Amino acid sequence: MIRSDNNRFGKPLYILYPGDHHAAADNSLIATVVGSCVAVCLYDYRKMIGGVGHFIVPGSIGTEGIIADEVAAQGITSMEHLIGEIVKLGGDRKSFRATLYGAGEFSGDHGLDNVAGSNIQFLHEYFKLEKIQVAREDLGGNYRRKIFFCPRTGSSFRKILMNNRDHSEFMRLESEYINGVFGNNERFGKVLLFD
Amino acid sequence: MKHIMVIDDSPTIRTSVEFALNGLGYAMDQAENGSDALEKVKSIKGKGEDVALCIVDINMPVMDGITFIGEFRKVDRFTPVLVLTTESEEGKIKAGKEAGASGWIVKPFKNQDMMDIVQKLVK
Repeated sequence: MIRSDNNRFGKPLYILYPGDHHAAADNSLIATVVGSCVAVCLYDYRKMIGGVGHFIVPGSIGTEGIIADEVAAQGITSMEHLIGEIVKLGGDRKSFRATLYGAGEFSGDHGLDNVAGSNIQFLHEYFKLEKIQVAREDLGGNYRRKIFFCPRTGSSFRKILMNNRDHSEFMRLESEYINGVFGNNERFGKVLLFD
Repeated sequence: MKHIMVIDDSPTIRTSVEFALNGLGYAMDQAENGSDALEKVKSIKGKGEDVALCIVDINMPVMDGITFIGEFRKVDRFTPVLVLTTESEEGKIKAGKEAGASGWIVKPFKNQDMMDIVQKLVK
């Protein structure tokens, strides 16, 4: 993530890279570009705190659903990182509202079928289990999206990028992130037992 | 009946921990923050039953995990408390250990790892 103070919006702009998350309560903007990944914008409408997470669920989810699935656990943990940051700022998931973007489908993605479908399935199951209202979703399609989110108001703006050469550097970073996530065999956290 | 108390503000995490520990033979209880857990532990003990283990998140509204461990240790010095969190900073782990945690798992967890560490702690 980088922060830009010198931009056309006249307020701090946080640009998320693939795999990043950021939460804030101030009058800033959070922006990202998603292709195959998802961008989850979460807003606590009581505390006026919000954040964005950019991630991907690396593979297909089994028939038992996300609770029993170790691939889905990666997505749950990405959500936990974002929610944890909002909670640290005083938020509570009981007053969260979500806006979902991304999960674009591109031919030959990562050698696996239906990665986009798997990510959409994950989001639907996750927000149902969490009982978090999804105010708006804009998922699927074969295009990339540029997202802006204001953490103080919870409002978001999406621009569809029809030309795949747009933001090609961002797409290269997303591709590197996705290859890293799919290729990571050490996906689980450390376990410590104290004396 | 012995209980395992799972304390996390995420219903998804609470349910996935229950799924991982299904079959161990404990009554599984859920609490959504540290304060809720203290009340539920008190209620279980009031019925003459035991809590064998608490599994607690760190970042929660109302009462966070480190505060919970400190409060829990005022009334129970011996029941193991396992932290399950996305936090992996040394400072946080040290604070948890000093508050009285017995172990620390960084999310995401492998179901078998969860089962193994829980069996060690409740032995």
